[in-house]
Amino acid sequence: MSTIEPGIRLSDLRGDTRRLRTERVVRGVLLGGAVLSIVISALIVLSLVREAWTFITQVEWASLWTTGWFPRRGLYDVKTLLVGSILVTAIAMAVAVPVGLGAAVYLAEYASGRVRRVLKPALEILAGIPSVVLGFFALTWISPQVVQRLHGDASLFNLAAAGIGVGILTVPLVASISEDAMRSVPLALREASAGMGARKVTTTVSVVIPAAVSGLVAAFIVAVSRAIGETMVVAIAAGATGGSQFTTNVFKPGQTMTAGMAAQAAGTDAVRGQALTFQSLFFVGLLLFLITLGLNLVADRYVRRVRQKY
Amino acid sequence: MATLSTPAAGAAAGAEVVRARLTGGKADVRGRVFQLALVGCLGLALVVLAVLLVDVITGGWEVLSQRLGDFLSGRLSSRPARAGISQGLAGSFWIAVFVVCLAFPIGIAAAIYLEEYAPRSRLTRVIDVNIRNLAGVPSVVYGILGFAVFVKALGSLTGGRTIMAAGITLAVLVLPIVIITAAEAIRAVPDSIREAGFGVGATRWEVVRGHVLPYAAPGILTGTVLALARALGEAAPLLLVGAVTGFLGSDFAIFDTNQVRERFTAMPMVIFNWAQQPRDEFRALTAAAIVVLLVVVLLANSAAILLRNRYEKKRG
Amino acid sequence: MRRSLALLLPLLLLAAACGDGEDSGSAGGSDSGDEAVSGEVNITGSSTVEPISTSVAELFQEDNGDVTVNVDGPGTGDGFQLFCNGEADITDASRPIEEEEATACQQSGVEYIELKVAFDGISVLTNPANEDVSCLMFADLYALVGPESEGVDNWSDAAALAGELGSTTDLPDAGLDITAPGEESGTYDSFIELALGDIAEERVAAGAITEDQAETTRPDYQASGDDNVIIEGIEGSDTSLGWVGFAFAEEAGDQVKELEVDGGDGCVAPSADTISDGSYPLSRPLFVYVNKAKAESNAAIAAYVDFYLSDEGISSVEEVGYVALPDDQFSETTTAWEDRTTGTREGTE
Repeated sequence: MSTIEPGIRLSDLRGDTRRLRTERVVRGVLLGGAVLSIVISALIVLSLVREAWTFITQVEWASLWTTGWFPRRGLYDVKTLLVGSILVTAIAMAVAVPVGLGAAVYLAEYASGRVRRVLKPALEILAGIPSVVLGFFALTWISPQVVQRLHGDASLFNLAAAGIGVGILTVPLVASISEDAMRSVPLALREASAGMGARKVTTTVSVVIPAAVSGLVAAFIVAVSRAIGETMVVAIAAGATGGSQFTTNVFKPGQTMTAGMAAQAAGTDAVRGQALTFQSLFFVGLLLFLITLGLNLVADRYVRRVRQKY
Repeated sequence: MATLSTPAAGAAAGAEVVRARLTGGKADVRGRVFQLALVGCLGLALVVLAVLLVDVITGGWEVLSQRLGDFLSGRLSSRPARAGISQGLAGSFWIAVFVVCLAFPIGIAAAIYLEEYAPRSRLTRVIDVNIRNLAGVPSVVYGILGFAVFVKALGSLTGGRTIMAAGITLAVLVLPIVIITAAEAIRAVPDSIREAGFGVGATRWEVVRGHVLPYAAPGILTGTVLALARALGEAAPLLLVGAVTGFLGSDFAIFDTNQVRERFTAMPMVIFNWAQQPRDEFRALTAAAIVVLLVVVLLANSAAILLRNRYEKKRG
Repeated sequence: MRRSLALLLPLLLLAAACGDGEDSGSAGGSDSGDEAVSGEVNITGSSTVEPISTSVAELFQEDNGDVTVNVDGPGTGDGFQLFCNGEADITDASRPIEEEEATACQQSGVEYIELKVAFDGISVLTNPANEDVSCLMFADLYALVGPESEGVDNWSDAAALAGELGSTTDLPDAGLDITAPGEESGTYDSFIELALGDIAEERVAAGAITEDQAETTRPDYQASGDDNVIIEGIEGSDTSLGWVGFAFAEEAGDQVKELEVDGGDGCVAPSADTISDGSYPLSRPLFVYVNKAKAESNAAIAAYVDFYLSDEGISSVEEVGYVALPDDQFSETTTAWEDRTTGTREGTE
């Protein structure tokens, strides 16, 4: 007969409107921050494509296969830049992969806690060195002391020194991702292997490394992407600041996509040369962006598998 | 028969015997060689680092020891005896200001959203992949973005090839790194803390602000310091945004905000310019400038690493 | 709390920067004369003339602390582009303005005052270790770096063409590594005009090359707008070849070897004297072009140029290693500045 007066109504559970409003505002602001990243990507693509499109539609296709990359003369031999980038990256990987992987295996499998605590930060210091510094080092030390000793008539500016410099830059990256990959291999696998009588080297080489292979591949791809995108080391040490002939000789000066872009731009679009000289900058930029994007997408698939779980 | 005087010695001796039995008693040559090769790899990396540091320090020693004050307060000059890096330091200072004021708040906000608020939807996944890709985009492409957008399109706001354009460009470059590291730090906060907050009726923002963020703060701080160190070392975007490569007349007063809309230079650009001068005096100047930049960058990196190590140890 | 502060800070900074930004860089507003001038002067152009302009700017700023002078050296060609766009107040040039550039300036309404400020020579360089070559004739230079020499990578391979053009030099059998200025550089243009020009015209008449080709070098060498990089390139190879401004070559000292050049009157080595009296065949004038309208509205620019042409300012020319103008030519320059005469007297019309 008498209804039970509920002590609590639904509106009571809903909570203070002011706090909820703050909540909504804050949520909006934070979402804005996240969406901004998409805006940035869109802007990058837009700024590249606009001028690159002008280039692509107006360029004479014959000028894309000539003796060299001389944008001010209307000679846009893209393969000069591509081959230059590939050569520098190959040399960089030849340096970074063995050293980085070796260091990673040592730190992950062999080093005691104390050794690790000292040496790992040392590697991370290497990671913090800016690329201009490595470029200067490549020009003033690596080129005379290493490259020119190896190959007598190498010129002072050469792709090999730049490649070694980029390799040194990339070592910490390879080491860090590889180490994460190996440490995420379950201990059980190692113990099983040891239980079968395998020595440490066998365990490491035949069990741990194969188990971590997707992470190692990720490390390699990320390193390649980083090496391709490296500008300043090449700009300082490889010597081609205006244009460059097509060359496969790593002991001579050369040009990569990145340094080619840096050589073109000085913050202004008033450059002397052919009609498309300035647009060539964006064309190369677009190429570079697409290549590194592709590499990063592939690497991302692999990196997800080794992300450390807390 | 090995001695059995103490339990530890006995255990060690016993282990030796077992190991010898298991491995057939032979010395593990392959293993030793392999281990040495690995140590060699790590050693090589560290030796290179040492050589680089020694080379740079000895190269710049004269300048630093004899005219440090002049060097730090001097300006760009065609006379090496008078040249200094004050304009480079000022430019780098302003870049740091822009990175801190733009990239950090926005990056941390985005990270909070992605970790705390975002539903597991398609949009979230797209944003996530997008951020990871942005982190891998070469810095020279960010330079193009800076040129096309902040120098040209927004020229009236930034004044063209100015420190403001450069600062914003570098903030954009560093933003994905801030987001990723902050997100990882937030993800590491145990759910129990959040649930405790919800249990007493707090809204999500109150939980985040009052509990998650303080807990994740050291990790976030580490990430942001690393990002700042990265921004201070980048030169390619500065080239594309139009840093002065010749003579810069302005006398950068650090607290004069007028200067942000004027032509500029920064430490990495000063190093880049001097590195291309063949004269020996400029070699020494370049090395000295590198030492100054390294001191700043490596200090920041070391601080971040120490912080992270302490934080890892505390959390166990 | 920390969050909101962090968000406020950039807004404050932006507001302050935007608010005060209007005043910087605009006209000084003060009268010319003894009062301190303020304002900004933006100078671009030739990397050859850059050291002079930088030296003058440094001296000028000592007495005029409120003026900001910025000097860039992207190259004569790029400098004219920026200048005719209105993006620069003054452009330095190591050659006179060309017809196309003069037209571009005219179309965008930029009136320029042409001021000749110094003489410079172009030094032809090789590595000090290269003992086989010490003098080159114009014919040799054309055979080594001219438009018909694409692909020639050995000195002796050019001997055939050089001989055909009348050279008697013995070119060694050694690798040819060329590091030289590129198209953006006035030094490139001057070199073509002085060393290759006449021969190129003959070759056009003989049908060996086209008119367009006559104004170029071979494209396949390491080009750089930065003279320092060229010096380093010359140093880096034992049998290199290149050319830079005389002052740069002198400063590089032992790092390079300056070759003698035979322009038809025997081998002449570059020196301040031979450049000044014209006996060295590769000598050229250096210019400063001033935007007339900007000079009138910006007192800082006028003050800067006044200083440049004063005794103290113009002494920078010799200090930096270039050759001073003879008195009669210098007074022509000062008159042109005082009268604010526009148009070119040296360039092609």
